[in-house]
Amino acid sequence: MGNGKALRGKVALITGGSRGIGRAITLRLAEEGADVIINYFRKKSTAESTAQEVLARGVKAHIIKANVGEPEQIESMFDEIEAEFGRLDILVNNAASGVARSALELDDRGWDWTMDINARAFLLCARRAAGLMKNGGKMVSISSLGSRLVLPAYTAVGVSKAAVEALTRYLAVELAPRGICVNSVAPGAVASEALKLYTADPNLPKSAWQTTPAGRMVRPEDIANLVAFLCSQQSDMIRGQTIVIDGGLSLTLLNPEAKEN
Amino acid sequence: MSVEETLKKIVTRVTRKPETAFSPEASFEDLDADSLDIVQILVALEDAYDIEIQDEELQKIKNMKDFIAYIERKIGEKGK
Repeated sequence: MGNGKALRGKVALITGGSRGIGRAITLRLAEEGADVIINYFRKKSTAESTAQEVLARGVKAHIIKANVGEPEQIESMFDEIEAEFGRLDILVNNAASGVARSALELDDRGWDWTMDINARAFLLCARRAAGLMKNGGKMVSISSLGSRLVLPAYTAVGVSKAAVEALTRYLAVELAPRGICVNSVAPGAVASEALKLYTADPNLPKSAWQTTPAGRMVRPEDIANLVAFLCSQQSDMIRGQTIVIDGGLSLTLLNPEAKEN
Repeated sequence: MSVEETLKKIVTRVTRKPETAFSPEASFEDLDADSLDIVQILVALEDAYDIEIQDEELQKIKNMKDFIAYIERKIGEKGK
């Protein structure tokens, strides 16, 4: 990305952009010169705090409360973006939730909740965002290794992330003539608060760290760097891809030399 | 409407229980509220009172009476 401001003058929406991985992405895009819209679900004070950090980087910050699992709230959010900014250049589909159950324990409501927030929201946000991307744009979704690998109690989230990756490919082709690039990133276990919510294995952070060839777990800042690259012109020829960012963790799962604890 | 009345309406709507199932002594477990129910209850209360509920503080709440007291405290803090 160099020392220049690769995203100067761009307007970026980061769903779930106030904390965790979303916060790191928000701050990274702000560092690259983008004005950022921070979508949050519950914690206004956290969103305001992140917005202050954005302002300190010399760009604009705007916070919008919306549960992206609710279509009408997505509509309101984009109406506000259109009124405030008149356009959008970057959509980062990061907001996620999920019910930690095995497949046979998962009820309809837990399935719908997870799919609505993780997968349907991407479609609905992409639809509105595309209409605001008058001069092309970038869309990046946060997926997960659980879309391809089977993780404990991760059924709903894993399936929803598989849908995100498939939708990434379809949107990449459909939106290519409009100059819009669509990609996803699939992190392994990330050292974040969300990990505690999504895993039934309290030892996962430790075991993930010990079996990651890179020697440490993925940090939110690692993902933010990749997202910033995918939002820049330097990645224009990457389309519809899901880029794994796991420090090599998924390469070692069948490695008999990998430590087990 | 009192905090107790509001909480009763929200909890019974989310958990699909009759209002008679709600009592100050009832825990979330007694009301068959799972983690998804609890998130929805918290969001509805935050919207109703324009407060922020800290998830970690919920660990100390044993029943609806505790929860009502917690919400009333949050509402009081907001006015300061």
